[in-house]
Amino acid sequence: MSPDLAIVIAAVALPFVATALTPLFVRVLGERTGYAGTVVALASFGLLGTQYGQEGTVALEWIPALNIALRFSVDGWALLFALLACGIGALIFTYSPAYMHGQSGLTRYYAALLAFMGSIVGVALAADLIAIFLFWELTSLCSFVLIGYYTADDSSQYAARMAMFITVGGGLFLLVGFLLLSLVAVDVVDSGSAVAVFDLAAMLENPDAMQEALRERGLFLPVLGLLAIGAGTKSAQVPLHFWLPNAMAAPTPVSAFLHSATMVKVGVYFIGRVRPMLVGPEWLVLFATLGLTTMTVCAIMAVASTDIKELLAYSTASHLGLMVAGFGFTSVYGAETGVFHLLNHALFKAALFLVAGIVAHEAGTREIAKLGGLRHDLPVTAAITTVVALSMAGIPPFNGFYSKELLFEAAVEASHYHDIGVLGWLYPAVAVFGSIFTVLYSLRFLSLFFGDRPEGLGHVHRPPVTLLVPPAVLALLAALVSVDPDIAVDVIVQSGLEATAVDPHEMHVGLPTSYSTPVGMSAVTIGVGFLAYPAYGRIHDGVRTLVGGIPPIRSNWWYDTIVEGLTDEGRAFAETVHNGHLRTYATWTLAATCTLALAGFVAAGAISPVAFGLEVTLPIALVLLVAVIGGVAVALSDSHIAGVLTLSILGFMIAIFYILASAPDLALTQLVVETLVLVLFLLVIEEIPESEEIGLGAVGRDAVLAVAVGVTAFVTVLVTTATRPTGPTDIARAYAEQAVPQGGGTNIVNVTLVDFRGFDTLGELAVVALAAISILTLVVMRGRNDDRPTESSDEEPIDAAGSHGTDDTAGGGDE
Amino acid sequence: MTTVIMRTTARAIVPIILVVAISLFFEGHNLPGGGFIGGVLTTTAFAIVYMAFGLDFLERGVLGRDVDPGKGPSRDRVVVAYRRLFAYGFAIAVASGLAPLLFGRPFLTQTFRRLEGIPIYDHLEVASALAFDFGVYCVVVGGLLTILSVVGAE
Repeated sequence: MSPDLAIVIAAVALPFVATALTPLFVRVLGERTGYAGTVVALASFGLLGTQYGQEGTVALEWIPALNIALRFSVDGWALLFALLACGIGALIFTYSPAYMHGQSGLTRYYAALLAFMGSIVGVALAADLIAIFLFWELTSLCSFVLIGYYTADDSSQYAARMAMFITVGGGLFLLVGFLLLSLVAVDVVDSGSAVAVFDLAAMLENPDAMQEALRERGLFLPVLGLLAIGAGTKSAQVPLHFWLPNAMAAPTPVSAFLHSATMVKVGVYFIGRVRPMLVGPEWLVLFATLGLTTMTVCAIMAVASTDIKELLAYSTASHLGLMVAGFGFTSVYGAETGVFHLLNHALFKAALFLVAGIVAHEAGTREIAKLGGLRHDLPVTAAITTVVALSMAGIPPFNGFYSKELLFEAAVEASHYHDIGVLGWLYPAVAVFGSIFTVLYSLRFLSLFFGDRPEGLGHVHRPPVTLLVPPAVLALLAALVSVDPDIAVDVIVQSGLEATAVDPHEMHVGLPTSYSTPVGMSAVTIGVGFLAYPAYGRIHDGVRTLVGGIPPIRSNWWYDTIVEGLTDEGRAFAETVHNGHLRTYATWTLAATCTLALAGFVAAGAISPVAFGLEVTLPIALVLLVAVIGGVAVALSDSHIAGVLTLSILGFMIAIFYILASAPDLALTQLVVETLVLVLFLLVIEEIPESEEIGLGAVGRDAVLAVAVGVTAFVTVLVTTATRPTGPTDIARAYAEQAVPQGGGTNIVNVTLVDFRGFDTLGELAVVALAAISILTLVVMRGRNDDRPTESSDEEPIDAAGSHGTDDTAGGGDE
Repeated sequence: MTTVIMRTTARAIVPIILVVAISLFFEGHNLPGGGFIGGVLTTTAFAIVYMAFGLDFLERGVLGRDVDPGKGPSRDRVVVAYRRLFAYGFAIAVASGLAPLLFGRPFLTQTFRRLEGIPIYDHLEVASALAFDFGVYCVVVGGLLTILSVVGAE
């Protein structure tokens, strides 16, 4: 059965509508706005719930001429992700009012959070490449606002900028990948039209044909690489993982949302989405390596963390690596790992972040070293944490164990599917190695609640119930999946698997009953993890010393170096190009224009030898001769006035040339404009110093530049006139024929300007208006900086002009 | 440049230029001319006034406003009116483009009507494009005069 368009659209649009209404909510509800968000999230959740079990694509026309539509596709995988976003969104909104108590900027916070949720649901359901890109970048924008919530805080701004830079930049790679995909899809997906195809659902219906077409065109690897960069930046894969730990500058509910359910998983989600289309040996090597590296590196970094949110942030990146690696393995176990771990991770990580929020809120510190023995103060929280932390560690029978077991199985199986040589045993080894660190940091997080209470820890309050309910709900769900994983499989994971796996089969998970290699790997992981835990302090210090000692292995260092380098280079460049001398500006602009134009002609092969024929009539030759003499006279003139006057000779000759070429309109314009420019020049010229000493080098440079400009203009004229068809074109004929019947005017130029191409004229009007405004602003603003206070105080402020001029006519006379 | 010759010439030619400019504007639909050329020519007339009589003349002599001569060259006294002129001109152009939407036609659709039996003219063609062209005229005059007066005041 196909889904209902109205319901799907409503589910996606609802959060955005609520975003627009947020100021109203905040005015009416004040700090309780979060509960309105809960209602919205639950409404979206319910709407999506009605589509449960449906499969298919629905579309709303958007730009039919370009084949772009708001196309939404519903299947198990999309529903799993969208429902997670709404469900966890509802819990986050419930949690927020208590956590954000007494904070300012609630409108911004809730509006961005709602839009964030809406864009995630959008990405999950969208099946049109353009729509996906739109929602994708929207998530980046919203996260930018959310991460930078504490606008006065430098680290918050830094983190927000970094997240924006990385994720939006990655999104651009994704866009290029999309365009290449749509290029290839035209051949495969018969759209019945010649325009590009952006219909991802249609592409996924013919995965083999798409892959074949991509390989035929040699675009397979570029597309794979571009999509991987896009998804990798979003999902914080090594080496671009560093923005995620920095993003902990956001308020904790945002972190919980960002890290657990949503934005960072968008990349993983998308990898799963295109998996059937692009899966192959290259896919395996790329994503399995990327994922396992991320998993291990970030797990080690999590062990080195000193802040509970930092620990969780690195662990998120590590688990994202696990999911990417899962999808990277081409066997069906790979898809099972990805889908199942996405669900499990959302359940335990959201709960852990909310717990971290409670701890930070109630104990007043987030430093791991200062916390411990909290079970006495926060018994319920401790119980919740026990479930979810053990789940994160992958200890049986908690739910994280099942999906990690699947990863081990996929890693072991990998060498059976493709000949990957030494990687066949390296993958399982790395998976085990990384998982040991996962066990370590999970136990460390759990130890916040056990062991001795440090001296410095003051009184810890009991959290209000609204802070406790959301993580409790998540922990209960995690416990439910732990006790009977088949429930989760039946409800959603199996249908998610069918959308992401090439050869889906009935999925079964459960506690192992007999020995197999993955079971052995799990035993090693857990055993070594527990054995090494007493040495946690030494491992922690060791990693910190290592990372602190060698800056280049810290990715933050690379980011800072590159960004600072760009800033310095940019400043130096600006000082060279914009040094305040008009001559420098002209030099750079003209040189750049000439270079680009000539390079363009050369690249396009447009320059070809032309035979010159002298077909000029005597009057035209005469006029042009005078113009040339005028040009020479400009160069030879020794005063500015003489230069301007001789320059006008050139302009007037061109006007006469237009008359001779029977273009009276152009000639009129040229004459009038030339006159006006002459007058303007004469007005300004008195301000210019009489003469200035110019060095020989500057003269040489100017000469070279002048010749270059002349050559460019000459070549451009030759190229453009050479490609012009002989005789009037269809368009020209149509204008000439239609001018009287359609425009009612016999002056074709004017009819074209105001009737046929009125929009162009409107644009030009805007240019004239902008030029006037900018000159006005430049001069007036310069005047304000002058030390002439008596005069500037007399001036009318610029923006007052429109407000009190309602009654006078447009003719200019007033008062 | 405020010589007697210049002033006398200006007195004679400015009205002629203005009349020509206005006729160019109105005839633009059928003969060479139009809003842009008319606008630039009008601006030229103003420029000549500026050159011949100085910047304050327009305000004191034409608009009859009292200007304190001790304050040096006026920077943006006249400009306020010019600024409005191009703002309104732009509004007129956009509004004339929006008007067809009321009749269910696309943005910027133009139409025309031929009126018969008018005295002296016999027949007259009224094109809706004239309103748009008037917008163009206003923007050009307002914009260029703003630039002229600001630059000229320097």
